[in-house]
Amino acid sequence: MARHSGRGFATIEYPTGMNQNGDPSQAWIKLKPDGRVDVFAGTVDIGQGSKTVHTQIVADTLGVPYDWVTMDNSNSDSSGVCTGTFASRGTFIGGNAVRFAAERVRERILDIASKELEIDAGDLEIADGEVVAKGAPDRRISVADVAGAATYNYGELISGQGTALKPFAEISDEDGSVQVEPHSAVSYAACVADVEVDDETGEVTVTRLVQVYDVGRAINPTLVEGQIEGGAMMGLGLALLEQAYPHYPSAEHRGAEFGTYLAPALEDLPELDNVILENPSTDGPFGAKAIGEMANNAQPAAIAAAIHDAVGAWVTEYPATPERVLRAIQAKAEPRREGKRVIFDEEISLSAVSSNGGAGFLEV
Amino acid sequence: MQLNVNGVSRAVSSPPLTSLLEVLREELAVLSPKHGCEQGGCGACTVLVDGEPRRSCLLPLAAVGDARITTVEGLGAPGDLAPVQSAFHDRYAAQCGYCTSGMLLAAHALIERKGGPVDRDEVLDALSGHVCRCTGYVKIVEAVMAASRGQVGAEPIEQPLAPEPSQPEIEIAGSPA
Ligand code: FES
Ligand code: FES
Repeated sequence: MARHSGRGFATIEYPTGMNQNGDPSQAWIKLKPDGRVDVFAGTVDIGQGSKTVHTQIVADTLGVPYDWVTMDNSNSDSSGVCTGTFASRGTFIGGNAVRFAAERVRERILDIASKELEIDAGDLEIADGEVVAKGAPDRRISVADVAGAATYNYGELISGQGTALKPFAEISDEDGSVQVEPHSAVSYAACVADVEVDDETGEVTVTRLVQVYDVGRAINPTLVEGQIEGGAMMGLGLALLEQAYPHYPSAEHRGAEFGTYLAPALEDLPELDNVILENPSTDGPFGAKAIGEMANNAQPAAIAAAIHDAVGAWVTEYPATPERVLRAIQAKAEPRREGKRVIFDEEISLSAVSSNGGAGFLEV
Repeated sequence: MQLNVNGVSRAVSSPPLTSLLEVLREELAVLSPKHGCEQGGCGACTVLVDGEPRRSCLLPLAAVGDARITTVEGLGAPGDLAPVQSAFHDRYAAQCGYCTSGMLLAAHALIERKGGPVDRDEVLDALSGHVCRCTGYVKIVEAVMAASRGQVGAEPIEQPLAPEPSQPEIEIAGSPA
């Protein structure tokens, strides 16, 4: 019996959202008379922090403090349509919807500020909740006063709506070929896995994962890290523990009770090294791309490659359970040559021909 | 019978074999303990019974007697959080939050028992029966270690978080320092 260590890596690319066409997210924003901002959007926050990220996007687009902005995603009746939190689309698609809405609100704020200050809207900018004349910082009016003036002097509810929608594919009448705009937010990731494989029990331990994610722009790096760490463990689960067949929508893979579906536990936690790369997209909010679902894609392949590096056998079905690993090792140990059964086992064979375990005899 | 929940004596009338989890959630509307597996496997239902973490899904009401029950509601209050709660908040150690109550209570008990800084292995040991599907555990482990050191905010913890790598270092060219 021996424990073998191995290292493998995998790379992935991930197009954000449903990357062909449609897939809308809608948002609308209104300004209260005191300058505070209400955002209504349907993006579901299941703990990944979309609410925080959307709030940041709106605050930064408008130029007001984060605390002034409240996002309400509490019901799908008052909010616009959002097709959901899946396919890593929250920040790119949902975030673009709130950004477009905020850009319209910003235009209205500047327009009314321009009337109040009697300065061309193009010569104004907004920062820290104040509309300021470029190059003349003493000419200013707070966003709160603009909102008050809109409400009480101009009879306007400052608001804006935004929808992020992929352009539709063009289908050629002649040959039926489909033209789809290349996706603007492809994220990339690489994962290196270090494993130890026990060739007697077939047990695989992941000791370390080094993961690099290109997320375009990390609008909230702590939340990005949360996705990468959570994704790492989900990927590890898919590689080693979780029997996910037959696929959704069948629920059979879950088994009859809790303990029959294995999810990674604390003991499985390897050392994690995470690197966030910023390689901005051209049209995501502030250059952001994706991180949610893609975060568990690279590990299974990297781990399978590491197992191969460790014991020289490919496990071709996930999860790489001890049984599958042992079968793969066994299949490798019994090659058939010209109809003859030839067994070569590194340890047994080498110690049979050499008193020192084969040192200096053969390099494998 | 009377049940001592978070320092308050509450009258309960559920049958004696009802699980404590059921009594807390359904009869007393104490909602921080969560129904997960209801068979002792996930830790989401953990409460403190006389300061010790117990799976409330497996504990019949009759076995509780006059023991002190503590749930997250009794751990701290907004503005007056227990150190472990502040650390979870400061370090983003909860995503969906389903595992969080159980994690908090088990971690709180560990910190109380140790009375000083806990190391990574101790956290792993104390929380090993708690399943988290979202966080990958990393920030939870860090938060418990930080709380045990009385550390607030999200600064790095003054102790290596992981054992030294047994494998050669991997150079990442051009990675941010
Ligand atoms: S619900 Fe009690 S351990 Fe899972
Ligand atoms: S935060 Fe979701 S299960 Fe732990």
